[in-house]
Amino acid sequence: MSKFKNIKVITKKELDKFVNSLIKNEKYDVIGVKEKGIRFAFGSIESADELRLDYDVTILPPKKYFLPQIEKLMDFNLEKNFDFKKQNNQKPMIIFGIHPYDIIALQQTDKLYLDQQVDDFYKKRRDSSIIVGVDIQKVSEKSFAASMNTHITDSGFDLLLTNIGDYYTVTIGTEKGEKLLNEYAKTKPATISEIKKIDEVRKKTAKKFTKVLKIKKEQWSNVLAANYNHPIWEKRSQKCMECSSCTMVCPTCYCYDVHDDVSLDLKKGERYRTWDGCLIRDFTKIGSGEVFRDDVEKRYRHRFYRKGNYLPERYGFVACVGCGRCGIACLPDIASPCDVINDLSHFERSDVTDKFFIKYSSSVKEKGIIHIPRSATIKRMEQLTKTEMFFEIELDNGEPLGHMPGQFVEVSIFGVGEAPISVSSGPNDSSSFELVVRKVGDVTGRLFKMKPGEKIGIRGPFGNGFDVKSFENKNILLSAGGLGIVPMRSLIEYVLEPNNRKNYKDITILYGAKEPSLILFPEEFKDWSKVDDVKCELTVDKCAEGDCWMGCTGLITTLYPKIKLDKYDSENTIAVIIGPPIVYNFIIKCLQTLGIPDKNIYVSLERRMKCGVGKCGHCQINGVYVCKEGPVFNYKDVKNLPEAFE
Amino acid sequence: MKPRVAFFDFSSCEGCQLQIADLEEEILDLIEIVDVVSFREVMKEHSDEYDIAIIEGSIMRPMDEHRLRKIRNKCKILIALGACATIGGINKIRNQWPVKNVIKEVYKDADIEDNKFFNVSPTKAVNEVVPVDYYIHGCPINRDEFKNVISSLALGKKPKIPNYPVCVECKKNENVCLFELGKFCLGPITRAGCGAICPTNGSACDGCRGILSKPDVECVMDLLERYDLTYEEMKNRCTIYNTGVFNPKDGMTLVRRSKR
Repeated sequence: MSKFKNIKVITKKELDKFVNSLIKNEKYDVIGVKEKGIRFAFGSIESADELRLDYDVTILPPKKYFLPQIEKLMDFNLEKNFDFKKQNNQKPMIIFGIHPYDIIALQQTDKLYLDQQVDDFYKKRRDSSIIVGVDIQKVSEKSFAASMNTHITDSGFDLLLTNIGDYYTVTIGTEKGEKLLNEYAKTKPATISEIKKIDEVRKKTAKKFTKVLKIKKEQWSNVLAANYNHPIWEKRSQKCMECSSCTMVCPTCYCYDVHDDVSLDLKKGERYRTWDGCLIRDFTKIGSGEVFRDDVEKRYRHRFYRKGNYLPERYGFVACVGCGRCGIACLPDIASPCDVINDLSHFERSDVTDKFFIKYSSSVKEKGIIHIPRSATIKRMEQLTKTEMFFEIELDNGEPLGHMPGQFVEVSIFGVGEAPISVSSGPNDSSSFELVVRKVGDVTGRLFKMKPGEKIGIRGPFGNGFDVKSFENKNILLSAGGLGIVPMRSLIEYVLEPNNRKNYKDITILYGAKEPSLILFPEEFKDWSKVDDVKCELTVDKCAEGDCWMGCTGLITTLYPKIKLDKYDSENTIAVIIGPPIVYNFIIKCLQTLGIPDKNIYVSLERRMKCGVGKCGHCQINGVYVCKEGPVFNYKDVKNLPEAFE
Repeated sequence: MKPRVAFFDFSSCEGCQLQIADLEEEILDLIEIVDVVSFREVMKEHSDEYDIAIIEGSIMRPMDEHRLRKIRNKCKILIALGACATIGGINKIRNQWPVKNVIKEVYKDADIEDNKFFNVSPTKAVNEVVPVDYYIHGCPINRDEFKNVISSLALGKKPKIPNYPVCVECKKNENVCLFELGKFCLGPITRAGCGAICPTNGSACDGCRGILSKPDVECVMDLLERYDLTYEEMKNRCTIYNTGVFNPKDGMTLVRRSKR
């Protein structure tokens, strides 16, 4: 309490005057809690009479003012080659009546959105807002905030109101809050007995919570880690209607999707982001149609692990504030974390705890403002196969992309959208780089129709590439399946570069394609094998009748017995696998047969990478962001992630 | 050359075409990106040369199936427009009874025996007769969605049709859940894209955009009990647009959702 020397009291009449004078002033959007039918909601208020500080809980949390349901990111003009205007206007707002749990939820979102990759759009809204919190007066029947210790807060607000009977106390949290109060309100300093009353009120409120957690929130992570395969997930998810209401109303859910809309005359359009939810089946769907969390059981489970294990392990806080909104919104009543955790608390087995998280952060930060692409020009296009096209791209600012082998970029086409594409060329000083694109979705389909000279947007490079320094003085065994040769080529170009070649010992490149007509870079493949101590093996799954093919036939796994074990110092060999999801388990078995330890194996994994900066939530493998910690992983780090090689 | 678009109507109220006619001055934008060669509601010209066929209405008679197949053979892209076309919709209510009983009920003793126009089969959605490339759902359709589909196709991208339920949009609109107000709403299992227009205005969702998933029987029974709703209310709601999606025999035996 001593922390707040600055506690004032205000009469209810003066509080109304304070609110009304702010409304009259028109400098701010004045927002507060109002009645909405039988419930409550935050909304613009026109008079202090509308303000209901005695509410239990609002339908949606105040996050809608910081991450709006639909938020325009930019306007673009399709009549010009690459023309857009970032949208980021925000009138200052004052929000009255935020409960402590929602204030804490906003502080959590700050951690995610204002980390080393600041989300500009979010920041602007946060910076231009004033938070006037209020201590809970009426407890919502589904809330368990007292068990989470989120029914009270001593930070995160500019001002905090507490109803102590005849008066409100106003706790001043920031200078901004103090200034506002001095300017617009008539208060007097609180007496010792009035300050004591604040604590009494809070203690009384805490006792009114009927929903109570059986274990402490600090234990959530361990309880969940021990119960990943518990029958509770299947049993409870059978009732799930897959409506994602639980994520929509959650103050700590912040996943979003980005779309482009175009006017009917195709002349202009806008890019916007909108709330997405991990209970929605298409949440993990990628361009080729693959869905990575297809069973409702897995999606249902994911939500609880994200709140109770993945984010706590990453950021140190449980990403649930006990507001109980999901419990109200869920028709079959299976969404409340309180119920799930209480059920699981009977089953805790402290001896087995799985880890769903790895700790290494992205080496490269996005250049520029989040979501804003850099202008680039298509220099050259070449159709490699019937479904794959080669692109040479040059950044218009003349700078090199600055990527490491294995990294990816987001290709952005206004009106169509964005798609993550692996960089196929090795790092170099020139301002151009190469991509190979398979025609699977909208962006790739459009790229096929473009012509040299046309402009596209580029964001990135993103993620972690190959740690080529740690490969030095080792043999290197590269396995590429199908399109995996595209990112692999960036690594091959790097290690075969004359200055770098001496740092690596024997290099073996194994490449399996579906059929002869689908082999990518056949000429380069021949060139690579001409370099000293480089061995290249190529195989095709099958050879169509009439095709001329003199090489190996069979899956890529048939190539491994050819590798002479005696020649290979397996401990001293680095193995890299890039291919379609199905090949990993088979190739890893072959490598293990060769005696290559797991810590020497690297894989590059594919997921739905939308934002590229670990915010939108789509690419998660358990607690790991593929766009940030990956796409390149050390196999020993991911082999125990249940969702990695399913 | 701009793609040529033709509209065709089958059994329907033509209200979905009316929604397009209601685009008013935006029609000018529409004809800037496509050539409308046939659109009975707004023009008298007609051409049989078209790339995109937009089909409104359900398929009720063998002669309609024949006409639809001819259209499918001529067009490159076929779009089903509105609930009658996309899911059969209201026209499927009659599939609860044998066709001959329905005829008897409506036409009593009228002499229609040899009249081919009265040769009726059970109602079908368009995709039960020919393959459909894209769907514009709803009763009536949402004009913004129509514009989005057309501009997407003109840009060469797949139209973005939501694959998630109405609840998502309803929650974004911050509505009080209609179940709390004692209404049975099909929002949790119906495809979104309408902006949750009905629940936002206080009416329970009737499922006009089609059912996405069939919830567990136990779950539904639970729900009815918790919110003090009757089986009758649920059954009626499910048969308005989605007769046959659930077991057609009694209109509403819920099927256990299979793992996908």
